[in-house]
Amino acid sequence: MLSFKRYLNRVLIRMALATFTLLALGPVVWAVVTSLLPLSALTSRPPDLNPLNMTIENYILVLDSSRGLFSGLINSFIIALFTSAVGLVIGSTAAYALARLDMPGSNQILMMILATQMFPGIVIAIPLFLVMSRTGLVDTHFGLIVVYLSFILPIVIWILKGFFESVPMELERAAAVDGATPLQTFQFIVLPISLPPLFATGVFAFIESWNEFFFAIILTRINVKTAPIAIAEFSGQYQTLYGQMLASAVLASIPVVVLAIIFRRFILEGFVEGAVKA
Amino acid sequence: MGLWFTAPAIIVLLTVLAYPIIASFVLSFQRIRFVSQGLSYQFNGLSNYTELLKNQLFRESLFRSVYFTLVEVVAVIILALLVALLLNHPVGRHAFFRVVLLVPWALAPVANAVLWKWIYNANYGVLNAILLGLGVVDKNVVWLGSPWLALNMILMADVWKAVPFIALLLLAGLQNIPIYLYKAARLDGANAWQQFVHVTLPGIKTSLVISIVLQSIWALKVFDLIYVLTHGSPADSTVLLNYLSWRETFSNLDIGYGAAIANVLFVFMFMLALAYIRILRPRQSKDG
Repeated sequence: MLSFKRYLNRVLIRMALATFTLLALGPVVWAVVTSLLPLSALTSRPPDLNPLNMTIENYILVLDSSRGLFSGLINSFIIALFTSAVGLVIGSTAAYALARLDMPGSNQILMMILATQMFPGIVIAIPLFLVMSRTGLVDTHFGLIVVYLSFILPIVIWILKGFFESVPMELERAAAVDGATPLQTFQFIVLPISLPPLFATGVFAFIESWNEFFFAIILTRINVKTAPIAIAEFSGQYQTLYGQMLASAVLASIPVVVLAIIFRRFILEGFVEGAVKA
Repeated sequence: MGLWFTAPAIIVLLTVLAYPIIASFVLSFQRIRFVSQGLSYQFNGLSNYTELLKNQLFRESLFRSVYFTLVEVVAVIILALLVALLLNHPVGRHAFFRVVLLVPWALAPVANAVLWKWIYNANYGVLNAILLGLGVVDKNVVWLGSPWLALNMILMADVWKAVPFIALLLLAGLQNIPIYLYKAARLDGANAWQQFVHVTLPGIKTSLVISIVLQSIWALKVFDLIYVLTHGSPADSTVLLNYLSWRETFSNLDIGYGAAIANVLFVFMFMLALAYIRILRPRQSKDG
């Protein structure tokens, strides 16, 4: 009796897991399939899903330089790379100071940093746009990188502070006894053993700045359009080119989804737990 | 010494966050017009705010934002909790399912919007195809064509995207509950439901509250989906506060009025941010 109940329980759980997987991946799989089919197959009824029709034509068409997606991908890459690199350098030093060096009001600073994470973008965007258009920073990589740094830094500092606190103090004390300055200790002792979380926060920063849309649409015009802008414009202009619309969405998603899957362990341990644990 | 370490980060945060927040406050008391030589600023007191209160679209957007946020939070928390419980079950612990969760999370929000635009497509969308096939509807539904329906379809697409991260948060909470608590509860004769209420829920209380606060903030910020799916149509029925503020500022070029709307949103989010910090703080002082 008990074993039957157990068996039933397991079957139910398996069914629930299957439903979950279908709901989570179904839309994504459908997007990928769509992006590989010619328009005629998608608009026939019922849609012609014959795998023999599959083609990468949509991808070739959207990557054509006249469409702006290719340059969008390049811009997104440049911006995301610089944001995560600079974010790590200045974020890790700040996190170390907050974790280890006695600083007046370090707790308040941390709380302030965290609070900045929660402002609605639009509040910042309006004055920022005014200042940046006056200083000629609208539609530049630099402008967007600085803005993205401001959302990335709080998260980087928060996560890395948690990690630095877990590093055994003895190592740093030993270095101090040998006459190392705090900067040297940080550079030669702490950083080398912190590579995994540094990498994880870097990946997170990369994904966030790659995906960002709201500020990109306000602060870019022509030269620095990022991939999300290119996709949104495409879906507005060529409403009926379904396959190409989806192909551009898939292309822009591949790098971030792949990064998330490769670094899943770090993301799960670093961010998710960092958000609930001080 | 510590100051030198934190200085670069603080400078970036001050220039990019602190200054604009103050400036936005100041802008909202001004009437700003485009003139030949750039912008003209003119102090006009509270009139942007009084105009807001009189404006029908603002009141409707405010109501819709509150509705959207409440429904989204409830839906996301319930679904994410179910997913988290499922993935915490021995059968669901396989790493594969965690990868499944990361895919919708990592997807660019704009890509997500395009994806749902295609699913909801009235003529060729798969949603209509499935529902017709099952006999739930007898003709194609224009999902984004009628006011209330369009808003709820946007809500659904946003929930789909939001569940994974919250599920991961809750899963982290679940995994921190010591097994012996469940063993003790079973010894006391607690059934599955009683274990859930008396062991699981108290065990994930912090993650649950943080999830609610974070999700409320994110729901208030929704923009990409509206931009791609409806642009606020039909008849402005999918205009939420964030979108309204953006449109007034950057489309209608009424910068002071846009800033006033942004500040209303800011007040909501600031209260949520304070809640988040209050929840985290006691733990922090305990840890030292």
